[in-house]
Amino acid sequence: MNERGQGEQRVWEGGKGAPLLYLHGFEQHPGGAGFLRLLAENHAVRAPEFPGYGESGGFERLRDVTDVVLTYRRLIEDWGAGPVDLIGHCLGGMFAAEIAAFCPHLVRRLVLVNAYGLWLDAHPMPDPFVMTPDALAKAKFHDPGWAAREPNVFAGSPADAAIVRTGNLAIATKFMWPVADRGLARRLPFIHAPTLVLHGVSDGLVPLPHAAAFARLIPDARVQTIAGAGHLPMVETEEKFVSAVERFLTPG
Amino acid sequence: MKFHWFAEVTYPHLPPDFRARNTASWVTIPAHLADPLKCGEMYRMFIRLMQQADRDGFDGLAVNEHHQTSFAVTPSPNLLAASLAGTTNNAAILVIGDSLALYNPPTRVAEEMAYLDCLSGGRLIAGFVFGTPMDSTFAYGFPPIELRDRFHEARDLILKAWSEPEPFIFNGEYTKLRYVNIWPRPVQTPPPIWVPGSGSVETWDLVIDNDYCYGHLSFSGLHSSKPMVDAYWEYVAKKGGSLNPHRMAFTQLICCADTDEAAEALYGDAVRYFYRNNVQDPFLAPPGYTSLKSVQAIAANRKKGESKLSPEDRIRASKGEMSFWEYDEKGYIVAGSPARVRQRLRELAIDLRIGQLIACLHMGDLREDIAAHNTHLVGTQVIPHLRDLWSEEADHWTPQVCQKILADRLMLEPAQ
Repeated sequence: MNERGQGEQRVWEGGKGAPLLYLHGFEQHPGGAGFLRLLAENHAVRAPEFPGYGESGGFERLRDVTDVVLTYRRLIEDWGAGPVDLIGHCLGGMFAAEIAAFCPHLVRRLVLVNAYGLWLDAHPMPDPFVMTPDALAKAKFHDPGWAAREPNVFAGSPADAAIVRTGNLAIATKFMWPVADRGLARRLPFIHAPTLVLHGVSDGLVPLPHAAAFARLIPDARVQTIAGAGHLPMVETEEKFVSAVERFLTPG
Repeated sequence: MKFHWFAEVTYPHLPPDFRARNTASWVTIPAHLADPLKCGEMYRMFIRLMQQADRDGFDGLAVNEHHQTSFAVTPSPNLLAASLAGTTNNAAILVIGDSLALYNPPTRVAEEMAYLDCLSGGRLIAGFVFGTPMDSTFAYGFPPIELRDRFHEARDLILKAWSEPEPFIFNGEYTKLRYVNIWPRPVQTPPPIWVPGSGSVETWDLVIDNDYCYGHLSFSGLHSSKPMVDAYWEYVAKKGGSLNPHRMAFTQLICCADTDEAAEALYGDAVRYFYRNNVQDPFLAPPGYTSLKSVQAIAANRKKGESKLSPEDRIRASKGEMSFWEYDEKGYIVAGSPARVRQRLRELAIDLRIGQLIACLHMGDLREDIAAHNTHLVGTQVIPHLRDLWSEEADHWTPQVCQKILADRLMLEPAQ
């Protein structure tokens, strides 16, 4: 077991069509989850694992969020398919918004899903790093029963999964500890891409008012809420999520 | 063998049902539970006790750094150390230690430790610590994944600030300074450096590679620590490091009285208060604070010791649910008459190969007169009988001036 990812950055890849880049949240890469397979029916999907997560290396090159942006700029440029549609969930949403702000020429349309990155004094986010598993499940899901069925790229034993998860969260502390705000609010006005802010309304980690705050700061953005879902609408309400994304990416 | 007087400066007035309230005594402990005037009384008591320890023959006076907790109300060890450096004459001022990542810029540590070394006439021992997760990552908010990098960069800066004769430029990742020139530099060039740890392999590499004194600062005694300390010495030997016992420090709660029976009567409640009210959950293990390699090594070492100290024992001990003599039998405390304490400490020191004993002579809500009695008995009836231990090995990890003071005193008062 690698202490932190040591190898090449892993990318889950599938489908044909316009290029779509998906960035996962702070806990783990979802692997070949159902929603990614559905998106791959109409798009060329690439879903990289964040450097340092799972078996992916490269974390030591990241000093701050600008290095994250440059890592993905290189990934998109090397892909060679032109500007991408970019979906970022949770911590991946923070990174996606940063990429869109710094590299507007590389992002055609942007989807932020229950994204971290802002701080609202009136709506403080709980500390996800001290929650018991039960409390975390309640905060994440509209139906906490989903906790046991959440898709995860790691398929080993529960004991090893716990170790991998701890390693992943360690990486996340670089960008989320003690408060998941690295100045994104100042940069959101620089986003050119039309943006859909998707938000599962039962999210106990990133409260709903954050969606409106993103939409206020991004010049061309609108909010769509998803009932019956919490922090992971792509898991809890897979079809609603995919159809909202498809309508936005391929209007008419 | 050397003996350093130490106490976690534990707030002694928590309500009796504190543990049952199921709230942490770290990070988020309710502020209204602390009476500032009573804290002042407590601070003055510890200064008196440590001044006495200086007279009673202890080699060092140890102070440490913790934040936002009733367990150890010493947010700046350097403040307490300054109170002692100016009012004592013999013992080392053992700052064990400053949490390097928490000082901005870290030249603050270089300056304050230089001040202490000057004020004490070269009696400082410089302890560098990562700080507990509760302190460094929760109370002070540093991302766990950055803590070790920040520590090492600060350590480089401090050591250079002590040794470079001319002003220099420091261009670090976390600290950038155009003009580093702390004034004055310390008396010692440099002070002895100690780095305590809790079993992380990375810390072992650090102390071995730099020939620092390592400290295993647990409060659970011999059986809890033996697999870890054995593994440490094996690691030192494998890497070809020095096996000198004086480069190993260990904390031990000691409850000394005229008789074994008296010990139980004097210390029983305070020992249980000490353990019962140290509630770290949920702040003990944030992701990234300990590397996965070390988490696994620590767990494996803990498993090795289960025949002597089971997981159930650990839980009962932490809840204050053991009897006084069970705490003693399991190694958490060394208790009894001076003769018994002498014998048990000798066994402990040999078993773990310890040259620096950090003796915790006050614990929990112990009364001052009992702690003073403890200090006097250990200073006069225990320490002199253990001076022969490791005397054939040179001690490079305590200040020269303190060793000279000790040598002069031993010539005047040969051991009985």
